[in-house]
Amino acid sequence: MEGDDLLVGIKFKLAEGWHTYWKNPGDAGEGASIEWNLPEGLKASKILWPGPHKIPVEPLMTFGYNDEVVLLTKIFSTQDVVFPLDIKARVGWFTCKDICIPQEGEISLRINEGNKIPTVDSNEINSYFKSVPTNFNQDYRVERLDDKFFLQTEIGDGKHYENVYFFPDDYGLTNYVDEQKYEKNLNSFILEVNASDANLNLQTFAGVIEATDNKETSYFEISYPLLTEESDSEQSVFLLIIFAFIGGLILNIMPCVFPILSIKILRFMEHSENSSIQTYKFGLYYSLGAIMSFLIIAFILIFLKSSGEAIGWGFQLQYPLVISILFYLFIALGFMFMSNLVFGSQLGQLSSIARVKNESLESFLTGILAVIVASPCTAPFMGSAIGFALLQPGINSIFIFLSLGIGFALPYFILSVKPSLLAFLPKPGAWMETFKQFMAFPMWGSALWLLWVLSGQVDTDTVVLVLIGGLLISLSLWLLEKNTSQIKSIQWVVRLISLILVLFSLWIIPTSYSEIDKETQGDLVYSEAMLQEFRDSKELIFLNFTADWCITCKVNERVALKTNAVNEIIRKKNIKYIEADWTRKDFIIAKKLEEFGRTGVPLYLLYPSEGEPIILPEILTEDTLISYLTEIN
Amino acid sequence: MKIFLKFISIGLLSGTCFGSALMDQKAPDFSLFDSYGKEISLNSFEGKKVVIEWTNHGCPFVAKHYKTGNMQSTQEFALENDTVWLSVISSAPGTQGFVSSAEANKLTASREASPSHVLFDPTGNVGKLYNAKTTPHMYIVNEKGVLKYEGAIDDAGGRGFMFKDLLKATNYIKNGLIELSTGNKLSSPVTKPYGCSVKYAS
Repeated sequence: MEGDDLLVGIKFKLAEGWHTYWKNPGDAGEGASIEWNLPEGLKASKILWPGPHKIPVEPLMTFGYNDEVVLLTKIFSTQDVVFPLDIKARVGWFTCKDICIPQEGEISLRINEGNKIPTVDSNEINSYFKSVPTNFNQDYRVERLDDKFFLQTEIGDGKHYENVYFFPDDYGLTNYVDEQKYEKNLNSFILEVNASDANLNLQTFAGVIEATDNKETSYFEISYPLLTEESDSEQSVFLLIIFAFIGGLILNIMPCVFPILSIKILRFMEHSENSSIQTYKFGLYYSLGAIMSFLIIAFILIFLKSSGEAIGWGFQLQYPLVISILFYLFIALGFMFMSNLVFGSQLGQLSSIARVKNESLESFLTGILAVIVASPCTAPFMGSAIGFALLQPGINSIFIFLSLGIGFALPYFILSVKPSLLAFLPKPGAWMETFKQFMAFPMWGSALWLLWVLSGQVDTDTVVLVLIGGLLISLSLWLLEKNTSQIKSIQWVVRLISLILVLFSLWIIPTSYSEIDKETQGDLVYSEAMLQEFRDSKELIFLNFTADWCITCKVNERVALKTNAVNEIIRKKNIKYIEADWTRKDFIIAKKLEEFGRTGVPLYLLYPSEGEPIILPEILTEDTLISYLTEIN
Repeated sequence: MKIFLKFISIGLLSGTCFGSALMDQKAPDFSLFDSYGKEISLNSFEGKKVVIEWTNHGCPFVAKHYKTGNMQSTQEFALENDTVWLSVISSAPGTQGFVSSAEANKLTASREASPSHVLFDPTGNVGKLYNAKTTPHMYIVNEKGVLKYEGAIDDAGGRGFMFKDLLKATNYIKNGLIELSTGNKLSSPVTKPYGCSVKYAS
């Protein structure tokens, strides 16, 4: 009848020592496939796979079934059907021991009209049906930290498992061979699973967990969305091209470029008596020169990239080294804008070389020179743009540079087509110097931002070191600016000192991430006396019972306890954060744990200024922790 | 200024890609005897692309690829594209797929296969070095000796393999070699290898 369904099982009986596979066979092998041939009005579900077992094949790991298994399929009717029903299927499967044998067979089943009567077979089908994974109805979460996944769940009613094992649905998620670490806490458990070497950027942590307690083994389906690190680079290429265009436009008003361009614009005015066709021509050649220069830069960089790939050359802005150098550059640029020190000016004089008789050629050369002259100003942010552009496939980076070049050339081109627009432009003058000086502030703002990025990667001491480097860079620039002595030897000594200062500031740059040892940063170490003292003075207290070997504790600390937002609120509300480290099973801490009916960690206690402490859940999320911390008083 | 920052932050965010432990790294060098008793090392092929195939003639997955001519056509395609083809046997002595030199040459002849060399890795050391899990398990090394592909020969893996028409499958090796010679990044540099387990000594 319509809507009715029937559970059909196909039994695989294997000789001793042989096995067949689960839907994900693990490192090798292949699960069974069933092709149904059903009368009209019937449909088959996907295979309902009973919970799998680990079948190690040294040095690999496979997932499947030993001895025998019944694979179940739900057959359901979509309309009224005519009895008797002949159900047929073609089945292909592998049976393996140390070698594999592919097998296939046809099966058929006739179903007569009548009521469903339990039989020996239906009992067996039902018992296998019980081991088909069901939804895991506990709250759980999956965190990926470095190369490990952590599956954590709070056990509400105290039902606990002796062991838990995770079978992933798909390739590229977890390592099959490595042991999984299971840790049982009072009200929660955590499973640590190593990630797969093959990183396929899967979106979900999906699979089946096998949970065993004293009596039985249960299987549950797990599916948890993962934060994928991949940014939407595909869609954002178009956006980047637009940004590159705007960036190119902005380059025109950068202090290095604008003075040179305004000289050129003045020459326009001289020419404006001539026919407009000629100025249009200047603009065209200028644009060609500028765009070509950007394209050449793009090709050089792409070449460098493709040849550098093999030797591991990579433009990685995640490196503290790169960030520190960018920081120095922004500091230096800001200083140069503030002072009269302009390295670009010598280059700017070069454009006079281009004052050749052929005016089209001159415009073309000016375009090239403008790009060269612009480069001191653009280096910092062009560097980043280039860094990103290079991560793109070759053709995209060419478009990004093309767009940058077009943006750069466009204002000049427009002016050349319509010289009358010149009237709307501010005349070059003293304001340019003021503007140049003002530009120092956004530069230093960017430097600040970079420092903030750096502070997330290295410890405070190293950040201070980079700040000292910035100071030395400024000092060396100041020295160079004041270096107007008539005596050659003094000039050279000052230059040498500046060089030494610059080299020194480069030398102190951090080249690798430092272990940010937050544990020792202002955390209080538990003692009963200290706790009592804080209690007496009615302080808010967060007491963290932890241990180095406690995986749950470490995961909680990484995802909740030691996050910036939590630190912020702890600092703001002046909550005393005390750590009781049970790594060495300290007797005093054990006694304290016992007070709260615990024999192990983690245990999180939040003391209000008066009254009994609140016991926090064993699995902390940033949100729950923040709401507890916000409410306490 | 926001735009500058935008560029910087985009630069900071990107950088993770598909990969595996060996991917885009210098492929580990090895040196093995071939079926003519000659010692062959991977490094000696620098300047040419190399396809490495883990094989075991007794494995039904491998057998199907050879019976349908799929593996041979892939080998011919590789040779036409100036690529060296190494078939590696990591089966331990006494296990399925372990063959003598004479047997290996006979297999090559009878299957009309055209590997550049059939290499013996009875200790399984090279197989484990490359994390070879299945037969077939395929790798592509570029002219500079950098690993560019690891995984299955095609997308016919998965359940129902024995019923599938291999000649209709997407061949990752052919595609990979084409993409490499046009200078593109591989569209699927890592795929799930499928087949029998490599019969390592246990």
